[in-house]
Amino acid sequence: MMKHRTVLFVALAALMSATFILAVSGCPKTQEKADQTTAGPTPPAGPTAAKAAGSPDGKITIAMVPKLIGIDFFNACEKGAKEAAAELGPEVELIYDGPNESKVERQIEMINSFVDQGVDVVAVAANDPDAISGCLKRAADAGVIPITWDSDASPEASGRRFFINQATPESIGYALMDELARQAGEDASYAIISGTPTAANQNIWMEYMEKRRVEKYPKMTALTTEFPGEDQAAAMEAAQGLLKRYPDIKGILGITSVSFPGAVEAVVNAGKQKDVSVVGLATPNPMKEWIHNGDIKSVVLWNPVDLGYLTIYACVAAKKGELEKGATSFKAGRLGEVKVDGDQVILGDPLIFTKDNIDQYDF
Amino acid sequence: MGDNGDGALFCDQQPEPTPGSRSRKGLRPPLSPARRGVSPEPVLVGVLALVWVLFSIKSPVFRTPQNYLDIATLIAEPGLVALAMTLIIITGGIDLSVGSIVALSAVTLGLAWQSQLFSIWSAVAAGVLVGVLSGTLNGGLIVFFRIPPLIVTLATMAIFRGMAMGTSHGLAVSQYDPAFYTLGQGCYSIAGLKVPFQAVVLAGAAVVSFVFLSRTRWGRYLYAIGMNETASRYAALPVDRVKLCVYALSGLMSGLASAVFVSRVATAKADAGLYMELDAITACVLGGVSIYGGRGSIPGTLLGLLIVGSLRRGLDLSRVVASTQSIYIGAVLILAVFAHQVLVPALQNRALRPSLRRGDAES
Repeated sequence: MMKHRTVLFVALAALMSATFILAVSGCPKTQEKADQTTAGPTPPAGPTAAKAAGSPDGKITIAMVPKLIGIDFFNACEKGAKEAAAELGPEVELIYDGPNESKVERQIEMINSFVDQGVDVVAVAANDPDAISGCLKRAADAGVIPITWDSDASPEASGRRFFINQATPESIGYALMDELARQAGEDASYAIISGTPTAANQNIWMEYMEKRRVEKYPKMTALTTEFPGEDQAAAMEAAQGLLKRYPDIKGILGITSVSFPGAVEAVVNAGKQKDVSVVGLATPNPMKEWIHNGDIKSVVLWNPVDLGYLTIYACVAAKKGELEKGATSFKAGRLGEVKVDGDQVILGDPLIFTKDNIDQYDF
Repeated sequence: MGDNGDGALFCDQQPEPTPGSRSRKGLRPPLSPARRGVSPEPVLVGVLALVWVLFSIKSPVFRTPQNYLDIATLIAEPGLVALAMTLIIITGGIDLSVGSIVALSAVTLGLAWQSQLFSIWSAVAAGVLVGVLSGTLNGGLIVFFRIPPLIVTLATMAIFRGMAMGTSHGLAVSQYDPAFYTLGQGCYSIAGLKVPFQAVVLAGAAVVSFVFLSRTRWGRYLYAIGMNETASRYAALPVDRVKLCVYALSGLMSGLASAVFVSRVATAKADAGLYMELDAITACVLGGVSIYGGRGSIPGTLLGLLIVGSLRRGLDLSRVVASTQSIYIGAVLILAVFAHQVLVPALQNRALRPSLRRGDAES
């Protein structure tokens, strides 16, 4: 009986080995493909194992971690990042990967593993400014340059070198409030739909929106703020709830790239697009139809392709020592001289898409 | 030959030959291989060894001893939960609310600390206590109202998550007493290696669970209840008390897992433990715990945890993108379960048909 069992285990082990060899021999292919697309003209590098030993050949390896993968906004950032990596040529290797959901613990695990592999720069769009700081500190201690983009970590606790800021929060908050006042009227009552309550961006924009309201539009009333998470369906439900609870609401601000389309969907489904102005931030592609139908008038955003592009240039400049604290500007490819303010690299003013210019953008 | 094989499979689907004789025999753990199919642990050890060997060849980071200890930090939280889940599934139940209990405990811990009325360790105790109460509520509903565990915990999964969201307003609490961080970030230095603190916690909990399940009378009751609850009641086993206790224990483990989690990521938020029930159930099922109850072991679950954790770490280090990782992990789950629940018993029944009868005669 024991003999039979032994035979079975051997057979089984053989079966499992076959599976695993198949599975793992699939991995390098995935990797080579990623290399080809990220590094452009570079020939696919050797096996992962060789690269993990560090970068003795003077190659700069950048691990760029978005909040999550598979949404338009971060896809556009990825596009810009790859464009920059291709321009910079074979000396720059870009690894672009993030969690499937916007979970900070998964970002931490991924960054730790990138650091163990000996990358040169880690660039992260933090899902939580406090939680991410420990692992960025660990990265810095291991000699990896930590950089944040899109969403900052706590500057002191994380020891991050630079934050690549899409636009000053002031300019975004003001632009949103101005658009709302222009469309809904300077005496409108409105509600805000944000994402997660810990998202640093949204919180600081809301501060500046409130500041603008108090200073410039004192007759406007802020009703409430909803936090449905980074989830379009949940944002739509939140907006439906707002329409029910506040029958005379005049404006909804959707301030994440998913809460804006979610809110528009709810308003359009309710047939209230004439009474309720929806203003917010999103990537242009999903909003185009609504813009052309006249359901919404504008979309506020910065250019995420440029943000990804700038991030890679900043990572490389920081690694080469060309971008140091105290600099006032640095040269970033096609973007020319980019302003540096203290430990922040600033992309520029927000971009407002209307039906006149939205078709020029495809992301 | 073909008929024979079908018959063998059919036999295996009804692993309940004579429940009456078992109670007379005094409730031995019904795991005798000849009667119950082959135990999955040797197969799993083989799978794990294979994963380790293959990734060690591929990645120079994976083959360092420190890496194996780092895997423990990946599996500690779902691991604690999976230990209790093993006991629950053995009784024929399920607890889908564990991830939400983690969130509720985490938020309790965070808010207690933020209120400044609690020292950090009493805040931890408050969080764990809320976990125990939540688990007890599950158990109470299941035992006293005879509602199926799937339904009860599906409902409390939503309720506990909602309570966590509601009480915290989705906000995160950070900046704890530095002493608290030892739980999830600290380590013992032994022989030049850093043994993560949570690895020790998980190992301790696993030993206790193992002894409880395989060496105590109550441990055997769990199998009996899972095999045939009605027969267990007729045999005057304290079925209700046992079930109430395992669900309370699951709450306790979720509370502990949440303390480790909050300490590791340094932030308590209502999205803590999202999908942890799936990670825990995955580990159990992979480890050979039968979802129909009555079968399973702690070493099996630990092996399941290690396989998933090693795969995730190995794929991270091989730079397989997150979305592709899920596909590999899902495929391995199906293959491993297929191997030890279908393939091995089928082959074995075919090979051991005569000796099976002899085995029956002996006992």
